Amino acid sequence: MDLMPLSANTVSARASAATRRVVLGGVLLAGACVLGLVEAGVASSLPGVRLGLANIAVLVALVSLGEGPALAVSILRVGIVGLATGSLFGPTSALAIAGALAAWAAMALALRGSVRFSLVGVSIAGSAAHVTAQFLVAALLAGAPGVLRLASFSLLASLLFGIATGLVARLVISRLEGSAATGR
Amino acid sequence: MTRADWILAFAIVVLAVLVGPAVRAATASAPSSTVGIAGPSGTSEVSLFAESELHVAGLDGQVVVVVKDGTARVVDSSCPDRVCIRSGAIAHPGDAIVCIPNGVTLRIGGERRDGLDAVVR
Repeated sequence: MDLMPLSANTVSARASAATRRVVLGGVLLAGACVLGLVEAGVASSLPGVRLGLANIAVLVALVSLGEGPALAVSILRVGIVGLATGSLFGPTSALAIAGALAAWAAMALALRGSVRFSLVGVSIAGSAAHVTAQFLVAALLAGAPGVLRLASFSLLASLLFGIATGLVARLVISRLEGSAATGR
Repeated sequence: MTRADWILAFAIVVLAVLVGPAVRAATASAPSSTVGIAGPSGTSEVSLFAESELHVAGLDGQVVVVVKDGTARVVDSSCPDRVCIRSGAIAHPGDAIVCIPNGVTLRIGGERRDGLDAVVR
């Protein structure tokens, strides 16, 4: 915060920046929900392989709004998509929440760390963490560590889709920067 | 992509390649001749060498398990993702098929070997 006396002009500029953030957060949450619903509608042809489309919105939120709003987008998305598809509080909800939290945490760490990851690298970290957390929770819920054996294929797939979603997120962020909506 | 990206991608590939054998080694135990089936309505132990077809009541419908020639597999399930069916056949101790939506678990060897009697959640 600067200590300059506020003129009416800076107050309104600050208010409009705050409004812009709220609007962008809302748009990203809506986008995450739509992507999540699309993904729920697309029947996965292979077990343990998901496109992770909603991660695009979370990554964009993480870069353009920060860690808190990104977490909100991620968790609210899980809740809203769960509500819409009727799987909220079902046995798969624990998997969805664990995956979403792990992906958010991994991407936040990757962005925060001293190591320079590109957006693609951050996205890979998120998708791999998502898969890993889901398998760990599934093994825990089932009490059967043997489930983890299926994780190798899912991890390789997550790498592929992590790259894809990272590229899309980069595209979206470059457009956002064009509209001066972000500070990065 | 930066150098760090490539290292991360490589690490994930290595993890993916190693996780299978590592889990196999960690869960290996004495050969088993039974498969334990745990569902919402209880658990049962079935011999792997008696051919049978079992209809297990799940949270969301029915899970059909076929036991044949020392292997167990799920051939039909009412769950949406059908991950359990695509898991294929299991035969080795510690192997498991899980249908999360139906709350049904198949596990070669049956009993928990981690020293716990039960898990409450």
